[in-house]
Amino acid sequence: MFWHNFKYTAKTLLGDKMLIFWTFAFPVILGAFFYMAFSDIEDSEKLHVIDIAVVENTGFRESEMWKESLEVLSDEASGEQVFCTKYVSEEEAKRLLSEKEIAGYFMLADGEPQVTVASDGINETVLKYVVEEIYQTEEIVRNTAERRIQQGEMPTAEFYEQLSKEVMNLVDSENGGIRDISGANLSYTMIEFYTLIAMTCLYGGILGMVAVNQNLANMSSKGKRVSVSPVGKSRMILSSVLAGYVIQMVGVALLFAFTIFVLHVDYGNHLPLIVLLALCGGLAGLSVGIAIAVLVKSGDNVKTGIVISVTMAGCFLSGMMGITMKYLVDKNIPLLNLLNPANMITDGLYALYYYDTFDRYWQNAASLLVFAFSMILFSVLGLRRQKYDSI
Amino acid sequence: MTVFRAFLKVLNQCRIPIILYTVLLVGFGGFQMQTNESSMGFTASRPEISIINRDENAGITRGLLSYMAENCEIREMKEEELDDALFYRDVSYILYIPENYGKDFLEGRETELEVKSTGDYHSSYAEMLLSRYLKTARAYVKYAEDGEELAAAVSGILEKQVSVEVTSKLDTGNLEKAAFYYNFLNYSLLAGCVYVICLVLSSFREEKIRRRTAVSSMDYRKMNRLLLLSNGLFAFALWLLYVILSFVLVGKVMFTAQGLLYVANSFVFMVCSLAIAFLIGNLVGNKNALNGIVNVVALGSSFLCGAFVPAEWLPDSVLKAAHILPSYWYIQTNEFLKTMEDVSFTSVRPILVNIGVILGFTLIFIVVADIISKKREKFSGR
Repeated sequence: MFWHNFKYTAKTLLGDKMLIFWTFAFPVILGAFFYMAFSDIEDSEKLHVIDIAVVENTGFRESEMWKESLEVLSDEASGEQVFCTKYVSEEEAKRLLSEKEIAGYFMLADGEPQVTVASDGINETVLKYVVEEIYQTEEIVRNTAERRIQQGEMPTAEFYEQLSKEVMNLVDSENGGIRDISGANLSYTMIEFYTLIAMTCLYGGILGMVAVNQNLANMSSKGKRVSVSPVGKSRMILSSVLAGYVIQMVGVALLFAFTIFVLHVDYGNHLPLIVLLALCGGLAGLSVGIAIAVLVKSGDNVKTGIVISVTMAGCFLSGMMGITMKYLVDKNIPLLNLLNPANMITDGLYALYYYDTFDRYWQNAASLLVFAFSMILFSVLGLRRQKYDSI
Repeated sequence: MTVFRAFLKVLNQCRIPIILYTVLLVGFGGFQMQTNESSMGFTASRPEISIINRDENAGITRGLLSYMAENCEIREMKEEELDDALFYRDVSYILYIPENYGKDFLEGRETELEVKSTGDYHSSYAEMLLSRYLKTARAYVKYAEDGEELAAAVSGILEKQVSVEVTSKLDTGNLEKAAFYYNFLNYSLLAGCVYVICLVLSSFREEKIRRRTAVSSMDYRKMNRLLLLSNGLFAFALWLLYVILSFVLVGKVMFTAQGLLYVANSFVFMVCSLAIAFLIGNLVGNKNALNGIVNVVALGSSFLCGAFVPAEWLPDSVLKAAHILPSYWYIQTNEFLKTMEDVSFTSVRPILVNIGVILGFTLIFIVVADIISKKREKFSGR
């Protein structure tokens, strides 16, 4: 009887097109949208070569310091190119700026450097900063020269040349004395895909809910028939729920396959642990569905509505509509996310991806199980001794 | 009136999704809008960084700290919270100053600062600032007697600033807010219109109801006309609500010529959404499928055309594909308005082209919807 019911529950669930759309197709479609929208976003946030113009007036032509420095910074071959520089007249520079072809232009007016930009912004700030750096380097040369002359050196042309070379070398040198120790896994768009997995796991709750509803006498005529049949309630419900769980896991596996093979999402090197977390997450989602099916006394539509809103609210708090939300909640109202199954899944995957240690991962996996079993316990208490003399 | 009353009844059924779309719009619009004050002079970008200092706060270390504080937003937090903060871009750069750093630096020993960085432009800029300080300090280290003198010499140099002139008189900050709001409106308006209108059309097309109206004295042409009118009225009301909300949320920049163009552009898009809704309503009869279709259509065109993620950050291939969606042209106009300096015939021309394209789409949708409904009428028989 167990497998008989298992088989037919699975058939009914798979036959429901709406159910399959929400649990199988929708996460895949959403994943494709995420991929298309977010695949370039982090690259766009890197500092790119900035288009600028330099006004080529007599003052500029006579200043070796400025000419050379800007040339070095605009050198495509150097690998540390900051600017793509056009050397133009002042009118041309103004035209380029107004047509937004350059971020700003640089001009030496009576020996004083001047920067003109259209608005605030990071590229504009970098332009200002670099011009300042050259200006300050000039100042360093002048300043050191004074000190050395005070110390008794002779201010010959050779002396100046050597000094400026010395300072320039220092300024152009690599970033000595700074060591980057940040980890490699810093891509925050990963969170979007993690919330997607969380969503799929929790949407599976609809499957659990429908499966249980079929066995409840107060929900459907099929439930009435099942209730009067001489088969134990626990066996019927257990086999229905198991069918729901298996189908849900097929949906999750489909999403994993799609994100890994089509979208090339990188889940790191811990695939078995990720699968384990998805299994726990699916159980948590299923248990929410069961609890709602048992404890809420109303129609199918209302129950589905509740599962969907609980899922979406959970995903929202765990960063699906913007990862800042997860961070804000984690930081300010940690309790909310400790109780949120969507966040347990997202956070567990995040911990695997970002941290070298596993404490946080296991903590999340354990809380998912605790969450799932307490939901199931509530449902069992609700279902126990539910009997009808007439209905 | 009977038709309109029935329409209101159906509308009442879908008030929850409509409220949800509006809350999302106001929530996300408002969320994005708390920041930035408008100012006329040049304001340098300030990267957000954190510093863990294990050295004593004196000499060159203090100089470095105060220089970074001058040019960056320093976020104070516990050390164990920093890794999360870096991942979520709460800070883009973390600087660890080791013990005895100042002393070692002064005595010319090999020194090393550890940093963590997100790799985005804020962190690149923070690193530029840091390395500038270090290089300048290294240029002076052999002339300085002690740490304080070195720090003073370095800050003397770094105080020298270059004057910056800003040419644009635009209130870019507020125009960006408006663009963000109106881009998000793409989702709310499209989802709202498609959801309501499809639900209304499918309710009126239900087998029993269709038969009942067919035998009634109501002329079906008149009924269709009334249905069109009430749907149009609904779309207009929804649009008006969103425009009024934009005036409340965005503020006075909406009263400029650019603001007016945002409103006009969204009006044209509202008409197009109406046509899209009619087309989908004619294609889909199943009420249960509606929710899925609304989500795919509205979310899809919002993601692909740059309503959520700014269009300039989308891959080129996605943007090329997005040309076949009206949302793309609507959002392009919003983006264009963000930096439009003056309103004249030549400057408005690209906007007129975009609006023309949207109207073209509208026309196509209406024609296709018409053909489909005619065909269906024939097949279903009277």
